[in-house]
Amino acid sequence: MQTVLRQSEVFRALGDPTRRAVYERLIAREETVSALTARFAVSQPAISQHLKTLREAGLVEVRREGREAHYSVDPEGLKPLFDWMAHYEKFWRSRGSKLKAVLEGLDE
Amino acid sequence: MTRTISVEYDLPFPPAKVWRALTEPKLLEAWLMPNDIAPVVGHKFTMRTKPMGNWDGVVHCEVLVVEPLKRLVYSWKGGAADNPGYGQPLDTVLTLTLAEKPGGTLLLLEHSGFTGENEFAFTAMSGGWRSHGGGRLKEVLESLG
Repeated sequence: MQTVLRQSEVFRALGDPTRRAVYERLIAREETVSALTARFAVSQPAISQHLKTLREAGLVEVRREGREAHYSVDPEGLKPLFDWMAHYEKFWRSRGSKLKAVLEGLDE
Repeated sequence: MTRTISVEYDLPFPPAKVWRALTEPKLLEAWLMPNDIAPVVGHKFTMRTKPMGNWDGVVHCEVLVVEPLKRLVYSWKGGAADNPGYGQPLDTVLTLTLAEKPGGTLLLLEHSGFTGENEFAFTAMSGGWRSHGGGRLKEVLESLG
């Protein structure tokens, strides 16, 4: 179940176009908040908020150097999306109630 | 080494009814997905679900074991070799075991044959992301819709 929860967090984090663009940028290279702000023409608080969401989803990690925070991609972050098995487990669990509904509709 | 998903459904219905829901295409579709199943050993059929990435969403199945009202086993294969995320190749087996109990049926669903390949693919890819991962990632994200 843990994996399934992580999965929806990752989906949510990458569902926003700006956040996805920030994430893709961080795949290419490590960046600071100010560099990202300049690049994306979004306010600094907005970029910080996006980075916070990405960090909470486990997609991005931060490295502090002096007063600057450098953000980069956590290579483990997308793992939940690759867990096909977790996908199936959730799928099968969710089918129980549908199966019951079908059986309820059957004649004796 | 392979892994198995086991899910148990506690159903307040007799095995005969449960068996119908597992073996009649229309009934199976109502809780699972469109299919052309028949409880005959050797029967080949498909299940159709939402395409994912480069996979057309077709699951290829073949009935392996039929023990009326007791056990149904079929293969479950699908996916595309160049699919990096959901829908990567799957060569698995679905085993459905019915056990009659007072007032109903205990249906055990076992989906077996998952290999560690997903993780290996992931590990291999994660090394490549920093150098040339952008394009591949984009494909994955696009496949998420």
